[in-house]
Amino acid sequence: MIGLDALVGLALLTVLVMFALGSRVWAGWAGLLLYALQLGILVAAGADLSAGDGVLTSSLSLAILGNELRWEMSGLGWYFAVITVGAALFTSWYAAGEWGRAQPGMRLFHTALAANVLAMLVLLASADLLSLFIGWELVSWASYLIMTQRGGPAAAAAYRYLLYAMAGAMAILGGLVLVQVELGTLGFAAVRDGLAGAPDGFVWAVMLLLGAGFAVKMALVPFHLWQGEAYGETPGPAAAFLGAISSRMGLFALLIVLVDLIGLARLMEMAIPYTFLDARDLWAWMAAITIIVPTFVALTQNDARMLLAWHGIGQGGYMLLGLMVGTPMGAAGGLLHVFNYASYQAPLFLVVTAVAHRTGTADLDRLGGLITRMPLSYVTMLLGIIGLAGLPPMNGFVSKWLVYKSLLDAQMPLLFVAAVVGTLGTILSVYKLIHNTFLGQLRMEHAGIREVPWSMTAPMLLLGALAFISGFFPGLALDAVDVAQRALGVELLPHHLGGVYTATGSLNMLWVVGVLLAAIGVGALIFYFGGNRSYHTHQLDNYAGGHFLTSKVQYHYSHDFYAGLMRLIRPWYRGSVQWAERGLVSLANLLGTTMHGFYRTAYTPIYLLVAVFIGLWMAVAS
Amino acid sequence: MDLTELIVEILVMPMIAFLVGLVLVLMMRKVRARVERRIGPPFLQPLYDIIKLYSKHTQISHGVMMDIAVIMVLGGVITMEVFLPVPGMNGLALQGDLLTLIYLMMVPSLGLALGVGACANPNGSIGISRALTAMLAYDVPFIIAVAGVSISYGTTSLPEMIAIQQAQGVQSWGVASVPLLALAGIIAMHAMLGKEPFEIYVAPAEIATGPMVEMSGKYLGTLFVMQSFQLYAIGVLYTNLFLGGGENWLTFLVKVFAVVFVSVAVTNVFPRYKTDDVLRWLWKWPTGIALAGLAVVMLNA
Repeated sequence: MIGLDALVGLALLTVLVMFALGSRVWAGWAGLLLYALQLGILVAAGADLSAGDGVLTSSLSLAILGNELRWEMSGLGWYFAVITVGAALFTSWYAAGEWGRAQPGMRLFHTALAANVLAMLVLLASADLLSLFIGWELVSWASYLIMTQRGGPAAAAAYRYLLYAMAGAMAILGGLVLVQVELGTLGFAAVRDGLAGAPDGFVWAVMLLLGAGFAVKMALVPFHLWQGEAYGETPGPAAAFLGAISSRMGLFALLIVLVDLIGLARLMEMAIPYTFLDARDLWAWMAAITIIVPTFVALTQNDARMLLAWHGIGQGGYMLLGLMVGTPMGAAGGLLHVFNYASYQAPLFLVVTAVAHRTGTADLDRLGGLITRMPLSYVTMLLGIIGLAGLPPMNGFVSKWLVYKSLLDAQMPLLFVAAVVGTLGTILSVYKLIHNTFLGQLRMEHAGIREVPWSMTAPMLLLGALAFISGFFPGLALDAVDVAQRALGVELLPHHLGGVYTATGSLNMLWVVGVLLAAIGVGALIFYFGGNRSYHTHQLDNYAGGHFLTSKVQYHYSHDFYAGLMRLIRPWYRGSVQWAERGLVSLANLLGTTMHGFYRTAYTPIYLLVAVFIGLWMAVAS
Repeated sequence: MDLTELIVEILVMPMIAFLVGLVLVLMMRKVRARVERRIGPPFLQPLYDIIKLYSKHTQISHGVMMDIAVIMVLGGVITMEVFLPVPGMNGLALQGDLLTLIYLMMVPSLGLALGVGACANPNGSIGISRALTAMLAYDVPFIIAVAGVSISYGTTSLPEMIAIQQAQGVQSWGVASVPLLALAGIIAMHAMLGKEPFEIYVAPAEIATGPMVEMSGKYLGTLFVMQSFQLYAIGVLYTNLFLGGGENWLTFLVKVFAVVFVSVAVTNVFPRYKTDDVLRWLWKWPTGIALAGLAVVMLNA
């Protein structure tokens, strides 16, 4: 079995190759090859992991503080690693051709991408809390690098991310110190046993500190304000990579703490005083609010990339919600959603980048009618939005169905309603995205643009096809989820190639998608043979009030697309979390100014005071 | 049940749905006519309309997407019918439950939205924007009712819900066991049909019939077919969830027609709400009633 050393070594080699040769024209293709090799190693290792309780071990280990610091990749880390390397593969492919040739500074792009993959692999291979923290810091800095590489508004947003990430890292460090002091060890098995015997107060402290730190990366409400701009402003396919998998690193670490180390049974015993809620409800409702609020913020966005970035925040809520339900079906739904989400979010970001590459803008108020100019991009976006909305026949429907069904089976109807309301908001928002970009009237300045080349359309279409196939045959992805679920210590969900069978309601995507495709075929027969031939008018052949419209007339409805809805709910956008953030920033500024002033003025007398004090103490003590 | 029986059911169920749907459309037009003191069209008029539209010589399309979208609409509604159990035929209801059905019901609407967008007429786009907003409005009480019903019966499988209601008699029907949810459900389903006072997405005098503005000929004919399938689907879904399904086709059809009759009768005496008023009203009263019903279910569960 090829070990972890080979995988991480290859990732490190990729970083070095990109650093040395990243500015060459073929750097993207080299990256594609290297990521494909890494993916091959992972897939080969997956066969070994699914056979039993296996882990991928590394030969590297250090001894610190009486603890042995090791690295090994369990099934859970393997699952996330496959998605990571796959996302990097498609990103590098996209950037390999025309897009990369048109950009400055591609060496930094490729190096940052490879560094991200390396850092994420190190994080996903952690075997104890200290190696988790080391990997965490590496991932945070690598993410900052990839966000800030181009400068401009992305750098400002990346700096905000850095502040959030550092605060989170300090919280994690605090939690680690607490664990080390109380339990004397940082290894996963020992910490799990120690927490099982520890009092509730201690477990609360550890859970809140570690949970808050990891929730920052995952952008759970209320730690989510940095992610919208940071991911949206990151240029090009790097945004696809970040959106697909980067914030799920936070989910990975959070799952280790909540589900593996503490365990859902313990979470359900830890009651919040003076309420009828427990810790599990706290996390489930945070996830539900993360589904709803960012989705409706996405509804107000006019920039396509921001819209997608905010949806990315919202979809993370489904993953955590499924895992907090506690049943095998919920856990499978949450974990499957990580893969499904990556498979449709990445092509969506890539399409928006393609449109911006050709038209120069991602502003939804300045686009329209591109379906005739960029049909392949349209098909990709169509597959992506059906997946994001969670409708059959795409894979997003399967993972959402699992989450919904598990919530109903566990008799949690309000969380179910919250999850569905999030989906409804998503449907509205993604329709606006596709309508304002590809449908409606074509602008005159875009009348001559061409489709993007195959180096860009091939990865997009392949990802869309992947989303469709994993929706048609969800059993394939569920087999991979089994590996992760077993490593997390949760019971497996019995499934077959087409989906899930339970006594109280089944899902068989083979039949659903099969009948849908057959019915569409029947519909096509009725349509084409039942009626007369249709005459296709030209896209710009428009009339209003019986009069022909010239191309200068803007006959397109796109601005403020949901005017009626916004009239009702715009006053509900209070900006409370932003107000809290501003408050914290003011407090930090105040403290900083106070300390700075104190330090500057009291410098010499303080030293004198301290010296006198020490002298007196030594005199008294001897 | 073997494969041939299943294939036969898959072929037969949409045909029955179409025929019953045509009669439901006729009932809708006759009721409106009587309210307006007219006689109304003859029995086969809905069929004549569809044949006429399909056989028109002039069929204008605004692009391949419009054609594909209309085909998607047809495919979606046919698929939807196969997952709706009716007396004697479960179809694929054991391979996809109530949640699957609800999401399958959104596929034709999405297809229509894409096709209308491809028409490049702002009236259509405004209509779709209002239709999606109305969907957000009526789906909230609808989904609360669905959650309550699922928890009350302990299953999301429609054949099982029907079996439970038929085994335990009239007192276990949805209208008797979860009356508040049944009330919220009928209001939400009325809004789902897009009938007054929730007809803003069409608004003929304002936005030139909204989504249908550029649809003529066989495109409009397909929308007529979609309308008949939708009336049937909503009526059957409500009957299965709340009225105990049907032991045989006679009682079943009486219930389905009764449910649809309530909707098409009420619709004739109302003007229409504005878009934000649709949201406000549907998020206040049916949602409140549904939440109260859900609370009752959770307290009893």
